[in-house]
Amino acid sequence: MNKQDNINKLIEEALNSVDDAQRAEPRPFLLTRIHARMNKGTESVWEKASWFISRPAVAFTGLCMIVLLNVMVVMFNKTSDSTTVAEQTVQTQADEFSYTVATIYDNDNTP
Amino acid sequence: MNQTELVVQLQQGDEAAFKKLVDDYQVMVYNTALGIVQNAEDADDITQEVFIQVFRSVSSFKGDSQFSTWLYRITLGKALDHEKKAKRKKRFGFVQSLFGSHDEVDKQQAEFDHPGVKMEKKERANELFNALKQIPDKQRIAFTLHKLEGQSYQEVAGIMNTTLYAVESLMGRAKANLRKELKKYYDINILE
Repeated sequence: MNKQDNINKLIEEALNSVDDAQRAEPRPFLLTRIHARMNKGTESVWEKASWFISRPAVAFTGLCMIVLLNVMVVMFNKTSDSTTVAEQTVQTQADEFSYTVATIYDNDNTP
Repeated sequence: MNQTELVVQLQQGDEAAFKKLVDDYQVMVYNTALGIVQNAEDADDITQEVFIQVFRSVSSFKGDSQFSTWLYRITLGKALDHEKKAKRKKRFGFVQSLFGSHDEVDKQQAEFDHPGVKMEKKERANELFNALKQIPDKQRIAFTLHKLEGQSYQEVAGIMNTTLYAVESLMGRAKANLRKELKKYYDINILE
């Protein structure tokens, strides 16, 4: 029997392996365990919250929001930084070269 | 006590009726859940949850379908929910492992061994259960109900709220996909 025939035989055996299987039974005292669980109460708020947060859609949305916020903060800082730098440069140049608006009073007061 | 009487008494909150419900249906619920989640502890948990839900929501059972059909639907819903939660936990465990904690990832599911399968068929059955994990949910449900629970295609159609033709098609695709998965496995693991 070659390998392929052997594989086909195993596949058929696997597919038919549960045909005459007995039904599985739970451990004894199921009713007692059910009563104990009923008395224990429902899930706590934290369990529910963690279940909600760990849902892929929620987790992914949250992650995207955080990334987006970070990008926005970085972009905003970049813009305000460049504005400040530009303002500083203008101011420095103005100080260095004494850019002032010449007025008629300046001319009058010039000796 | 027939099904209708049982339901009426359950709706009245009768404790003895609840005990009878658990006695009569525990094997059905447990075996179905076990076929889906392939883990004895999880199946036990699901069985408890199913009976608790039945106890709390039996008043909403209108008798449109058989009581056992309703019970099967609750069981399948709970089992699939449980699986989704387990997958989410596994994903979360993987993320945790990236940050140094290996607890969750180490709890990989051991190979499943169905207690009802005959000893000489255990090995093939284990391979079949592994392949079952790889096929779509609907196909897996149809296959489990038919093969493990011994339900006819007509009964499976009732439980899955679909047509007989759809169940036949699901079973055909399930078997084809299982053959594909098993072939993949044997191609790697069987020597010349």
